[in-house]
Amino acid sequence: MTAEMIPRALIMPRTHETTESNKTGSWRFLRPRYENKTSPCSAACPAGEDIAMIEMLAGRGLFKEAWETILLENPLPGTCGRVCFHPCEGVCNRKDFDASVAVHDVERFLADVAARNDLKPVLEKLPRRPHRVAVVGSGPAGLSAAWFLGLLGYGCDVYEALPEAGGVLRWGIPEYRLPSPVLNVEIARIESGGARILRGRPVTMESLDGLRKDYSAVFLGCGLSRGAPLRISGEVPDAVTDGLVFLRNVRGGQPPPCDGLSAVIGGGNTAVDIARTVVRLGGKAAILYRRRREDMPAFQDEVSMALEEGVELHQLLAPEAIRPLGRRYGLVLKRMRVEGRDRDGRGRVVPTGETTEMEVERVFTATGAEAAQPWHRPPSGRGSGISLSHCVIVSEDGANPLVYGGDPVNETKNVTQAIASGKQAAMALDTFFQEGMEAVEARLAECRVGNGPALSMEIYMGGPRRLRSSHVVQPGEINTDYFRFGARMTQPRLLVEERIDSFDEIDLRVSAGTSIREAERCFNCGLCNQCDNCYVFCPDVAVRRGRDMNDRRIDYDYCKGCGLCAAECPRNAVTLEKEDAP
Amino acid sequence: MMRVLEGSHAVAEAVRLARVQVVSAYPITPQTHIVEILSDYCAAGGMDARFLRVESEHSCLAALIGAQSAGARTFTATSSQGLALMHELLHWSAGARLPIVMAEVNRALGPGWNIWSDQTDSLAQRDTGWIQLYCEDGQEVLDTTLQAFRLAERVNLPVMVVLDAFYLSHTHEPVDVPGQEAVDRFLPPYSPKFRLDTKEPFALSPLVPPSAYMEMRRDIARAMEEARACFRDVEAEFDAVFGRRYGPVEAVRCEDAEIILVASGTVTSTARLLLEELRSKGEKAGLLKIRMFRPFPAEDVRRALWRAKKAAVIDRNVSFGAGGIFAQEIRAALCNMPDRPQVFGFIAGLGGRDVTTAVLEDIYLQTKNGDVPPGESVWVGLQEVSHATGRA
Amino acid sequence: MQPDGRSREWMCSGHVGCAGCGAAVAMRFFLKAMGEKTILVVPACCWSVIAGPYPQSALKVPVIHAAFETGGATASGVRAALDMRGDTETTVVTWAGDGGTFDIGFQALSGAVERNENFIYVCYDNEAYMNTGIQRSSSTPYGAWTTTTPGRDWKKMRKKNIVEALVAHRIPYAATASIAYPEDLIRKAEKARSMKGSRFLHIFASCPTGWRIPSEMSVKIARMAVQTNIFPLYEVEDGVRYTINYRPKEYLVREYFRLQGRFRHLKEEDLDQIQGMVDEDWRLLLRKAGGGA
Repeated sequence: MTAEMIPRALIMPRTHETTESNKTGSWRFLRPRYENKTSPCSAACPAGEDIAMIEMLAGRGLFKEAWETILLENPLPGTCGRVCFHPCEGVCNRKDFDASVAVHDVERFLADVAARNDLKPVLEKLPRRPHRVAVVGSGPAGLSAAWFLGLLGYGCDVYEALPEAGGVLRWGIPEYRLPSPVLNVEIARIESGGARILRGRPVTMESLDGLRKDYSAVFLGCGLSRGAPLRISGEVPDAVTDGLVFLRNVRGGQPPPCDGLSAVIGGGNTAVDIARTVVRLGGKAAILYRRRREDMPAFQDEVSMALEEGVELHQLLAPEAIRPLGRRYGLVLKRMRVEGRDRDGRGRVVPTGETTEMEVERVFTATGAEAAQPWHRPPSGRGSGISLSHCVIVSEDGANPLVYGGDPVNETKNVTQAIASGKQAAMALDTFFQEGMEAVEARLAECRVGNGPALSMEIYMGGPRRLRSSHVVQPGEINTDYFRFGARMTQPRLLVEERIDSFDEIDLRVSAGTSIREAERCFNCGLCNQCDNCYVFCPDVAVRRGRDMNDRRIDYDYCKGCGLCAAECPRNAVTLEKEDAP
Repeated sequence: MMRVLEGSHAVAEAVRLARVQVVSAYPITPQTHIVEILSDYCAAGGMDARFLRVESEHSCLAALIGAQSAGARTFTATSSQGLALMHELLHWSAGARLPIVMAEVNRALGPGWNIWSDQTDSLAQRDTGWIQLYCEDGQEVLDTTLQAFRLAERVNLPVMVVLDAFYLSHTHEPVDVPGQEAVDRFLPPYSPKFRLDTKEPFALSPLVPPSAYMEMRRDIARAMEEARACFRDVEAEFDAVFGRRYGPVEAVRCEDAEIILVASGTVTSTARLLLEELRSKGEKAGLLKIRMFRPFPAEDVRRALWRAKKAAVIDRNVSFGAGGIFAQEIRAALCNMPDRPQVFGFIAGLGGRDVTTAVLEDIYLQTKNGDVPPGESVWVGLQEVSHATGRA
Repeated sequence: MQPDGRSREWMCSGHVGCAGCGAAVAMRFFLKAMGEKTILVVPACCWSVIAGPYPQSALKVPVIHAAFETGGATASGVRAALDMRGDTETTVVTWAGDGGTFDIGFQALSGAVERNENFIYVCYDNEAYMNTGIQRSSSTPYGAWTTTTPGRDWKKMRKKNIVEALVAHRIPYAATASIAYPEDLIRKAEKARSMKGSRFLHIFASCPTGWRIPSEMSVKIARMAVQTNIFPLYEVEDGVRYTINYRPKEYLVREYFRLQGRFRHLKEEDLDQIQGMVDEDWRLLLRKAGGGA
């Protein structure tokens, strides 16, 4: 037999299998896992809006989905997109990179797109409950309570004393900042969500007892509708007008005469609103503020616009007395100076001892607001019930609970805090109805966004947001290498000349392109946006992807725990932890 | 067709007839004529082959390793320093089981620079896993080169066809150059047992752990063993087509010889002349030509030598500290035989020095007259050297 | 990153590269650009090991492992054989480390590209002999510690500019790429694949083990090398047409050096000197690219 006739396989260095039988995952001592986290904006939002998600959806042009995501936490995006203090932007992780994302502009855009296209939100609702709740007041707190109770399956009757719903939103904010049609759309949506608004139906202390019997619970969201007096000599009705009343009359179509120079006392948005309204009615306005411009609680942007419009701002002047000067008034003002700092960081002011006098046509007050009726406030002292961050629940033995919410309860008083109050009340009542009062605090604590105090209705209702870590993403946890510098969008506005002639909304419509670009600037802190860096950079091909774009998992048979997926995740949606000891 | 060809030319003709597909070479005297002719064939269309004009012998063999792995029949030629530079890849090509064929023109290694005949260059590569075949004349060069492809491709080991510098590479002789059709009958187109293929991807020559390395080395050893038998088959097939065969060794008048000269390469031809002379004087002399050095044809050597009293091994090479390399191998082949012949080793003709019949006769006489072999090897044909000045 | 067209993997899990291995990332990207019709020649380097010990291969394309200094030559042979077989579709790629490219394989590489062999030569550069235990190569940067440039004897020679050496051969295409810029890397690999003749890709592939950096930093460091101008991303066609692909943010090299244990011993004045060298190299490149500084 010849050698050739004995076919023999060569035993040689030639491979015939893959490396996949090596379970190199056994090398791992750090373990990555996908974990969505909490964005600082959402934790800072009193309404706990899922801002990182909203921006992600908006950035992809999914405007309806983005809008619905807002509605799950806030029934008034058109309003908040315009008038919220947007604390979200103040804590934006992008702030120190270039500029924070214009969250409120995107929110306004989304609300306007929905309104223009008459979109109907498709939101998950819980099954109908037998309980009905009475809501007193249709301001932001009451509307919010009614909306969220509706999502949770409860029917609501909203009692509004005035012929139109909206409370401070309608009567306290000028048309040029919050046009009525915007508000009307929002209120209509809340009504179509199941709330019945009973307009021109004032509730008195006496009728409240009846409501408590007729309804399973009552939510009191009466707001603070009366301006605080100056408490100085010469403060007579002819000379001094409550600024809130003035604004209400203007919104109600009965603008008082505004000729000559009006003095506006205060430094908040109301003061600025009054002054700018005066200008629009043909008068002159001077804002007199006891501190400095930088200490004003009003939006700086609003102050700037007011100055552009001809409003005068006099700083470090506090009213001391008013005396008649013929048909006019002499406003005596103490000169103040800054000495040290207050606890809130603003300059502390003390009188210099000098005074000055200003001759004015009239004086408007805007130095704070009070409850119109004492019973709008929760009773002082500990009763039976619980006191939460944004509402107080009183439930005497056997009586149906009475929930106080909105500005009278909130430490910080603004629209979004009022919305937070209504939401908290809705959650608390649902828990009370289902599990009893003692379960309320623990149940609400589970729904905190980040470390609270904002609460999430999506979490409360068991949505995917509940899976997120409460860890609030810090700026250092963003891999900014993946982001290019991009200028923050500029909100187009009416010209000054156009502004002072009318009450038309100042902020103009923004294009979808601009809004998408702005939303795309968002880091989406803590949220996987399927960028796939984890998959791309894995040196071990250990990130597996399914058909679904969200289906991404780590194959621990092969993941060596190098951590590249976590480090290269631009937005901290991958967590790296010590592997448990074997 | 009979032609008068240089040994180098005979190699080139065989390579052309073997339908080699990739040739690579780096010039070194005395290999240059081979590659010049092949370059010409590749350029002029006489061969359908790619000629890679690489920048070193090392790259030359590396290129052939790549080409052969990708499924081409390949060839190179080199010499001396060039072969030494290839050393690493000689191991690699055998370990990778690639049937590369090389013409190795035996030339001395420097220093000092010496371009003339000497076998130390090729013999120093004896442990690399290459089959080595030493040629005596132009016809044998052509025939052996053709056989080399057949043998290499059967056992998946590379083959070195060795020819002496100048004495063979640059010497014109009549050579019967066969026709292509006949060669095709003997040597079918290359059909590799494996090749790089994107349809069936695998890795060649990866890291091999201790748990697998020895078996692969054993397989090379087995292939070498099989090459002995396989070579006989190849020669039989060659004989069937061309009517010639050479054998791994050639024993000339060894049956009744008392003293057998053992030679390789062109020295064999000189030894043939001396043998006639000695026999005519009544000397019981024989001649054993070693053609195959790796695998070493130990059985053939024993069969040729066992009756003799003495063997005189002529080595045109030296392994410093161990003497002539052929002598060592022959001693090793005989050492377990009872009544084995005595092996006398002689080193002659290094660096191209002429090994004349007189030198060979001296070797014969020293062997005949010696009682016992004097140590490793005896150097013959040396000049007087002044030990004081170091000058000859 | 839009991975769908490139979702097929040509590298297997279970390879034995170190955690965070930049060379593994480089291979993964590169093969996504190359696809099925690719034959790899791998001279001795980390990838000789990563690719898997017998009987395993970590790659789904044919691989021929080759002797250390033979990357250019072995590929020449593979190409020649494919040409003889009429296979013009398959791309032959040498995949070599910096040692096999800058040092021991430089001759074979120079020879191959001088012949304008039709292949792609990729040097994945981890700036030292990592497979053998972090010994210095001519790719090791000025200032680096290695096991053969220890202590005060840290490397005081510049890194060889391999791309410029290749450009001097006037090859059709030479480019740098980085594991931190996958799109750029894949684009260049695809571009190289579409061309003929000798093409050279120099891929910066960080080595957590040898550079003394945490494994999760390997991409970050590679990115910083680009951002600092230490490793500019550029490409050169026909040895003359320069294109700079990335205008760096010009971070200070200091930041890059501070993150790596291999540079820990450097003093402020050393870093200043290195900054000067980097600036000089960058200006030189700008001049070649015809761009103002």
